[in-house]
Amino acid sequence: MQLDKMWVVLRREYVERLKTKSFWISTLTVPLLMAAMTILPSLLLLKAKGDHRLVVVDETGVLAQPLIERLTRSAKKAVETPDVTSPTKAMQSSEAPGRITFDVTAEAVAADPEAQRQGLEKKVLSGEIDSWLWLDRKGLEAGEFEYHAESVSNFITQERLSDALSAEVRRLRLTEAGLDPDKVSKLTESVDLKTLRTTAEGAKEEAGFAAFFFVYFLFFLLYMMVLLYGQQVMNGVLEEKSTRSMEVLVSTVRPFELMLGKLFGVCLVGMTQLGIWLGAVALLTAPGILPVLAVLPGGLPQLSVAVIAHFFVCFVLGFMLYGSLYAAIGACFNNLQEAQQFASVAAMVVVVPVLLFFPISNDPNSTLAVGASLVPIFTPLLMLARIAVKMPPFWQIALGYALTTATTLAIVWLAGRIYRIGILMYGKKPTMKEIIRWVRYS
Amino acid sequence: MDATIELREIRKAYGDFVAVSGLSLVIPPGRVFGFLGPNGAGKTTTIRMIMDIIAPDSGEVRFFGRPRHRQDLDTVGYLPEERGLYRKMTVADQLIFLGELHGLSRRDAAARAKTWVERLELGSWLKRKVEELSKGMQQKIQLAGTVLHEPKVIILDEPFSGLDPINQEMFKDVLQTFKKEGRTILFSTHVMEQAEKLCDDICLISRGRLVLSGVLADIKREHGGLGYQLVARGDLDRLPTVPGVAHAEITGDRAKLLLHPGTAGSAVLRELVQFLEVDDFRSQEPGLEEIFIKVVRHAA
Repeated sequence: MQLDKMWVVLRREYVERLKTKSFWISTLTVPLLMAAMTILPSLLLLKAKGDHRLVVVDETGVLAQPLIERLTRSAKKAVETPDVTSPTKAMQSSEAPGRITFDVTAEAVAADPEAQRQGLEKKVLSGEIDSWLWLDRKGLEAGEFEYHAESVSNFITQERLSDALSAEVRRLRLTEAGLDPDKVSKLTESVDLKTLRTTAEGAKEEAGFAAFFFVYFLFFLLYMMVLLYGQQVMNGVLEEKSTRSMEVLVSTVRPFELMLGKLFGVCLVGMTQLGIWLGAVALLTAPGILPVLAVLPGGLPQLSVAVIAHFFVCFVLGFMLYGSLYAAIGACFNNLQEAQQFASVAAMVVVVPVLLFFPISNDPNSTLAVGASLVPIFTPLLMLARIAVKMPPFWQIALGYALTTATTLAIVWLAGRIYRIGILMYGKKPTMKEIIRWVRYS
Repeated sequence: MDATIELREIRKAYGDFVAVSGLSLVIPPGRVFGFLGPNGAGKTTTIRMIMDIIAPDSGEVRFFGRPRHRQDLDTVGYLPEERGLYRKMTVADQLIFLGELHGLSRRDAAARAKTWVERLELGSWLKRKVEELSKGMQQKIQLAGTVLHEPKVIILDEPFSGLDPINQEMFKDVLQTFKKEGRTILFSTHVMEQAEKLCDDICLISRGRLVLSGVLADIKREHGGLGYQLVARGDLDRLPTVPGVAHAEITGDRAKLLLHPGTAGSAVLRELVQFLEVDDFRSQEPGLEEIFIKVVRHAA
């Protein structure tokens, strides 16, 4: 082995790939998309912040006062006093957008309601008030009140308002039916699951859905990275073949060194991209940087150092395994179209872990999970899924990694033999029989 | 002095097809060695075996009087027939990469890349991407990449194919310079005129076998016999049957004649005037091409 030459190849792969626009586009769009998916909704919520000037005209004479109390109180106290009468929506609507404050004015019904209505409409149009609400008996029975505003798509404000109204109407109905609303609310209180994650360091509180989503995200990130970067190796080999720069290369570097240099170079590019993403996540979630994240329901799952480390190990193992296969495929063919057919077969093998992901993440210690995660070609993806859900016993991780490393070395060796012959072959597409013969050639 | 490169009985077969069959060659140091043969003769396969790109089935490749070591190849500059550059790399990066692959330091490679690109009158293109260059420019860059590390041995596989006349001249100039500097040059070609102009030594191969090898001047003397150019009217088709004529190449009213060694031109002319109106008859040194055709036909 001439390590210095392998290093030259590695550096070229790394530097040239980092210079491409596509690398930076993909590197930057992913965090932007992530940010867009997490931050934007919260930003929208924050945008709803501010005083909302509301005029309530109460025909019933019983609703306005408690409603105003509730609207001005709920902003501060919604969390401590779960809204009995509107149990399901308590969290969503009154906590996160709780920053809207209502500036409510009660008005009695005037002698000429029609004139009063028109007066209110004018006030809305002139911007004097934001909206007005007409509470009448008929509405109370029908469960529907008139709400007038210039912007009727301000759903957060409307939801707050409708929640508060519903709660008060419910109280009113309960009282009218001779029941104690406070007692009813206590008796009908719903139950939540407090999800705790069992780890070696003790129980950790974590939102169940967020944790699952996180594992799912890590798994698919790895899946995508392994496939995309594997394909990049293939495209690189095909480029060297089609531009005919291959022969100059193999006259100075042994094909095996060339292939390894290429694999390591592309692998480092992938790790760089992952590193940048990780840095972006760390930066965005650092306390105080984006207070907006604090309002996310459930908060963000914890990225532990162990999971990150395993992610990188699994990426390297998975990439080397599939990347060397892709290198061999690239070497066998003359152009992308020919190679693509074969490459899709390789991609199909990677789909198996995807199919197994749900049963395994559901029961990470089942025989299926343990067995499948120890199959070398599945280990990188499935072991990571298991690690992210629940840390498997050390021996399983060690065995899985050892088996995969051995398999990867064998595949790299095999791919190297195909590569060495294939890269100088032009013209006819080789048959499977011929490829097998290449492996046997000394 | 040890031969720069020596091939001993090398053989390479692809399945049933024998590409190179028991070829032995000696390439002496400091000479321009022409490796000649028609297309498909096994030239590229032989060069690839010299460069350790493919392994011979049997036989030995020796460099500098001992079995070839992988490191020996760092002293070789190789321009393959199938040539190409990374399209997205800049000229400078491409050359630095090739230089480093041959063991140059990054700084040396960068300095030499600049010198060479200027010498080839492409100085302003140093920072441009290869894909922006014309085909001819790319070929110049490729040549620079081949010799950037100042190799002792330069191996060029069909270096003139695809070159326009101006670049052909430039390539020849560069080769002449290398020759003066005492480097050993091996180049393959199927165009005999180029070999004739540039080579000290040649070898001819056909169907994987050595047909002829040695110093060009000696070969011409031994195999060439005497060449004559004839312009005449009459039945020129009878020329090959004339005593003393080894080979006749007839085009219209002209013919190139190759006489058997020891045959006097005047004797042949006396025969010719018997059945032809001879307008012109003059001696002409036979070309390598005629020798080659004669020898290959003879071998077959």
